[in-house]
Amino acid sequence: MEVLHVITPLFVSLIVGGTFVGIVFGAIPGMTATMAVAVCLPLTYSLGLENGLALLLGLYVGGISGGLVPAILLGIPGTPSSITTCFDGYPMCQRGDGEKALRIGIISSLVGGLISLAVLYFFAPTLADFAIQFSYVEKFLIILFALTVMAALSSDMLIGIFSGFLGLLVSLIGTYGIESGGNGEIRLIPPGLEYWLESGFALLPVLIGLFGLAAILEEAEIGVPESQSARNVRLGAGTGFSLSVFRGQIGNLIRSSGIGTFVGILPGVGGSAASILSYTATKALSSHPETFGKGEPAGVIASESGNNGLTGGALVPLMSLGIPGDSTTALLIGAFTLQGIQVGPLFIGQNPVTWDAIIVAMLIANLAMFAMMYFAIRYIARVVSVPKPILFPIILMMCVIGAYTINYGIMFDVWSLLIFGLFGWLAQKLRLEIAPFIIGFILGPSAEIYFVKSLESFGDLTIFFTKSWIAVVLWILIAASVAGSVLLARKTRRAREGR
Amino acid sequence: MNLTRRTILAALSATALLAPLVAAAQELPRNVRLVIGSNSTGGDTYQNAAIVADALAEKLGINIKVDAVGPTEAFKAVGRDSRGTTLMIHHDQSYLGYLYGVRGYEDIFASYKIGPTVSVNPGNAYLVPKDSPYKSMADILAAAEKGERVRVAIQPGGVSEIGFSAMKYAAHAAAPGSEANLVPVNTGSQSDKDQALFDNLADVINGSIQSNEQYTQLPADDQKAMRFVWITARPETLRKAPEAGMGAMTRDDMLKFASPETSVPLGEGKDFTFDKVFFFIYNKDMDPAIVAQIDEALAEVYADGKIEKRLTDAFFIPDFRPSDEARAHLQEKNDTYARIISEIGEPSN
Repeated sequence: MEVLHVITPLFVSLIVGGTFVGIVFGAIPGMTATMAVAVCLPLTYSLGLENGLALLLGLYVGGISGGLVPAILLGIPGTPSSITTCFDGYPMCQRGDGEKALRIGIISSLVGGLISLAVLYFFAPTLADFAIQFSYVEKFLIILFALTVMAALSSDMLIGIFSGFLGLLVSLIGTYGIESGGNGEIRLIPPGLEYWLESGFALLPVLIGLFGLAAILEEAEIGVPESQSARNVRLGAGTGFSLSVFRGQIGNLIRSSGIGTFVGILPGVGGSAASILSYTATKALSSHPETFGKGEPAGVIASESGNNGLTGGALVPLMSLGIPGDSTTALLIGAFTLQGIQVGPLFIGQNPVTWDAIIVAMLIANLAMFAMMYFAIRYIARVVSVPKPILFPIILMMCVIGAYTINYGIMFDVWSLLIFGLFGWLAQKLRLEIAPFIIGFILGPSAEIYFVKSLESFGDLTIFFTKSWIAVVLWILIAASVAGSVLLARKTRRAREGR
Repeated sequence: MNLTRRTILAALSATALLAPLVAAAQELPRNVRLVIGSNSTGGDTYQNAAIVADALAEKLGINIKVDAVGPTEAFKAVGRDSRGTTLMIHHDQSYLGYLYGVRGYEDIFASYKIGPTVSVNPGNAYLVPKDSPYKSMADILAAAEKGERVRVAIQPGGVSEIGFSAMKYAAHAAAPGSEANLVPVNTGSQSDKDQALFDNLADVINGSIQSNEQYTQLPADDQKAMRFVWITARPETLRKAPEAGMGAMTRDDMLKFASPETSVPLGEGKDFTFDKVFFFIYNKDMDPAIVAQIDEALAEVYADGKIEKRLTDAFFIPDFRPSDEARAHLQEKNDTYARIISEIGEPSN
């Protein structure tokens, strides 16, 4: 076992240290796992390949996992991939179950991470071969399936769909980039604003504007009564945590981890789609879908096992094809090339020690993440006890810093934060739905690229139905999800009429 | 005149306040932001910038932070700042984007100051499936001449397209009209181009030695197996690569796919070649003293030799040329490619 020579105290320390820093990055709204890895990438040259990877993989796992903390406690997704954690985690927190939601999220993250790691270790080359069967057509249908959740996320289905398509439209503002295969032309920009909007609105500022700033504006409008200022939410006022919450959720855990892993395997589909798809599938299959979005633990389980499932999945195409599965693993390629190591279809066979070191590093990172977060929950959860007049300015400052740094110092991103903060505040008054809006915004660019490229490549719309058996299966899932949403909407309406 | 303690303190304070401003007009500031024309922190532009920034910062005793802001924001940032606080590193895309009429690209020779070159990535290449009927570039050009439609996956508007433009130029020179049979398949990232080959949506793809070499080692019955048909780098550039090459491909193997052994004619007995060169871009009004300072510092860094090892380890060819020489070299490349692009009827500004 040559890999044992690699597992030195330094190797383990770098993983643990990287995981800790990653959790901090993930927990600060606007800072992401990608950013944490980018900051530390230059260090890997002096650390050597295995130690460098140990640090980066710790940052990756920590960064993806840390996003659940603000998503649950503050209702602000720390990273785009924790967006669906907000939907049920935050309502749980509001009713006093914040600590319970955190424990559920952390355990789900660990399970998702370990399942995807097992898949990575045992099936990487085989799954990479399967992944290349997914052309533009199948990728578009996957995005379309994820988009179907828009209809089911709001109290009024039509408003949900409208809000989702509005988000999709806004996401297309800017340049149809040649780096994505586009024509490099701008679209949907009002005259005179080309200088500012040619790159469009960046995801993170929009996300933290809609979820962070808008919430602060709403609270500011209501005002903070003196009696409530000291205690935002009563800690432990809810039902308390026990492992029995996972009873009946094993299928959810495995399915969501599998979906997250699978989305990671498909290059270009994007990390946020992992948790959205897991959430969509879980809600569609639930016997009580009406409880989702109102503090349903199954929603937190689906979201967190899905986004941590991504971590192992995204390494499959990287290690088996030399193609990154998401934006963070794209940076890992830099660590290899800085050391003069090629990644491609022969990497695993030619570099068995490095491959084993990667697996061991991922395993330790997942366990370290669990240990650090699970046992620190009591302290982390106290953030909700901080009086709002102190907490909100701190959140606001973190949001602004996060928006400014996400694209390495572009001031327009801070303006985006403010614009979408105001939009989010106004949207509540106009009865628009923020959750479908942001899902449309996240998935819009991928939907556009894959749709246009499908037509460019195959000629006409029939290809979406005839391309492959995978396309047929995806259409069945889409139809089931839409039908489920319609039935749910009817049920909700009847219940309202009954009252 | 009595020199009171207050007068002396005031004079010292004023000197202390003004000193950085005076210094800023003559040399690089203490903290420098190096923006790059790529959003990726895993790509070759970032790697080059990081290696050069490390060495330059150490040499000058300053801080240099590399920011992957992408071409649009990088040009804006460097265009705003003439103090030397913001510098840029990019590659041939910076002028090819303008030649191809891509939005957001200006004529860098007119709008900016060209700084020194730092390295070359010799990896730009074209590949076909391993079981393709096309065994070489000659086969591809012959197929186009016979009227066969050959689909080439590229990312339009720059480095990825220039080799394709050269193919069209060569096809046109061999048999006017045959260039229309070389059809671009516009894709984005390298994985999109690879996927286009796996899906049989393209017959030829633009790729690189670094990304695609391992695919060439796969058996022919593997859907992913590929074969190089052309490496665009100049042979003299490739000869500076490590003898062992990359993966199973030695330097000698690489030379078989490059000019003159693999020829894409440019006319007048010359072959088309393309080295992807990384270089500094400055604000047009940046103080010439700062330009000279960077040139001198980099000359010493390259003379020292340590940076060469780091660049070579990452499969780059060290290629330092001071600003004036770099400008002349890049202008010559620009003019050559402008001619190709305009003669095949592609947009050229």
